[in-house]
Amino acid sequence: MYIPDYYEYACPVKIVSGLKALSNLPYEMDQLGTHRALIVTDRGVVGAGLIDIVKAAFEGSNCEIGDIYDQTPPDSSKSVVNQVAKLYISSKCDCFVAVGGGSSMDTAKCANMIVTEGTDDLMQFQGAERLKKPMEPFVAIPTTAGTGSEVTLAAVIYDDEAQIKLAFTSYQLLPKVAILDPKMTLTLPPKITAATGMDALTHAIEAFYCLQKNPVSDSFAIAAIKLIAEYLPKCVEKGDDENDRLAMANAALLAGISFSNSMCGVVHSLAHACGGVARVPHGVANAVLLPWGMENNLDKVGDIIAELAPILGAPLSGGSMDRAKAAIKAVRDLTKKLHDLCGLPTTLREANVEESQLETIARATINDGAATYNPEDVTYESALDMLKKAF
Amino acid sequence: MQSSTLSVGFKAKRAVVSTSLLALGVAFEIVSKHAKELKEELKYWQDGLVISLGVLNGPIITFKNDGGEIKYLGKGIKGNPDLTIYFKNVDSAFMTFTGQMGSYTAFVQHRALLHGNVGQAMQASRAMAIVQTYLMPGLIFDKLFKRAPKLSASQLALKARVMATLTPLMIAKAGK
Repeated sequence: MYIPDYYEYACPVKIVSGLKALSNLPYEMDQLGTHRALIVTDRGVVGAGLIDIVKAAFEGSNCEIGDIYDQTPPDSSKSVVNQVAKLYISSKCDCFVAVGGGSSMDTAKCANMIVTEGTDDLMQFQGAERLKKPMEPFVAIPTTAGTGSEVTLAAVIYDDEAQIKLAFTSYQLLPKVAILDPKMTLTLPPKITAATGMDALTHAIEAFYCLQKNPVSDSFAIAAIKLIAEYLPKCVEKGDDENDRLAMANAALLAGISFSNSMCGVVHSLAHACGGVARVPHGVANAVLLPWGMENNLDKVGDIIAELAPILGAPLSGGSMDRAKAAIKAVRDLTKKLHDLCGLPTTLREANVEESQLETIARATINDGAATYNPEDVTYESALDMLKKAF
Repeated sequence: MQSSTLSVGFKAKRAVVSTSLLALGVAFEIVSKHAKELKEELKYWQDGLVISLGVLNGPIITFKNDGGEIKYLGKGIKGNPDLTIYFKNVDSAFMTFTGQMGSYTAFVQHRALLHGNVGQAMQASRAMAIVQTYLMPGLIFDKLFKRAPKLSASQLALKARVMATLTPLMIAKAGK
């Protein structure tokens, strides 16, 4: 196993996973010394009846829901974050509870920054490792599998004016508790299951070969990849099995822990840029770009990518480079299978990107922080080349 | 901690970091006036962007994008920088500035903090990497960069010019 010269690792999040896990929400809030939750969620989650499950969890407890913010858009923004922060204060809440996908989680993280620091200017905290104050208590309940945002130190929101995604990273952003209840992803439609599952796979694969890979994150990445390879097609094809959904929820969480500590690379840089410029959903962009990003890194870390072959169920014949290419083919086969099952795009064109946008996306890619962690040098030319191939 | 209680080794490292920062600031000015690839990179910078670079509780320099050319503003944090990059400690800065690791490695290993916009930091990082190709010996490029650049004849000539003028300019700007 690879031991780097230097690495850092942190994941203090308590994980509560399994049957009726959500029933423990009031207990976990109480353990944090809190009793009045602000639920941060979106209309889709409300429409799927999932907030009713959360409300039911409070019955008979000494905790309550102070208020519910259910207007979180797919790409959260500065104005949304400020609205949530104002509501937290005006409703006298003492705990953020995010119920949703990455957008709800990141909105809650950013609103928490605003409340904790007593400011309405999020931009003051842009950058890495800027936050020092312990944040307001925060419980994360994912309804996708997923971004892994319930265990990551990052929050990403959209800056409407500059058309870019803004990133904030700090260990202080990590939730106190992550609750994985299989009921919360049971109603996820096949295409969103596929896209969010591919986001998780990309996290795990990139974490495994990017520059801060370390034995702790590798362990989580390998476990995540194994689970995704087995359970993602099952969840897309027939998503009503709670055990399969719980497996994918755990996979996304494991992938999240992995990449939160090892970080991602060029695939995420490209995906963030596609999201910022062409509004491609993050999971869809990752699904399309993952094999191209892996190929981009063959020269530098082909031997590491080769280690993924048996985990992805790819043939083990040939030398290291053959196995690396087999691993990439296995990823392509998976996205093809998901495309056949639910129409998940396999090209940027299918994801409604226009060819005229590729140069702008390439320019945004090289300014995305994830590129730093990519083993291969990410230049404008190489980014444009990958985008054209993925188009 | 009083300066007199600091070890000789620490003071020496800090002095090397301080001198390296001065060299970087001065070289940035020179290279931004003459190197095509840096001018191309600076085209995308916000005009008037102010960047401070240094060590937490240690030596820091500030420079500014002045219409596509870099102006070294001097030691310390000047005004309200748009972007500040701090090495967490003198050891991390020393390893980076003496070519034991590339600046990208320092970021990847959490040895540096960033206050400001990540996109602008990536632009700054690329620009500083270009300046480093004119400051550092080619023999260690493999350690400093993911892909070691190959300098053309005109770039090598500019590198010689940077080396020849660096010391007198550093002496002239040392008090800034």
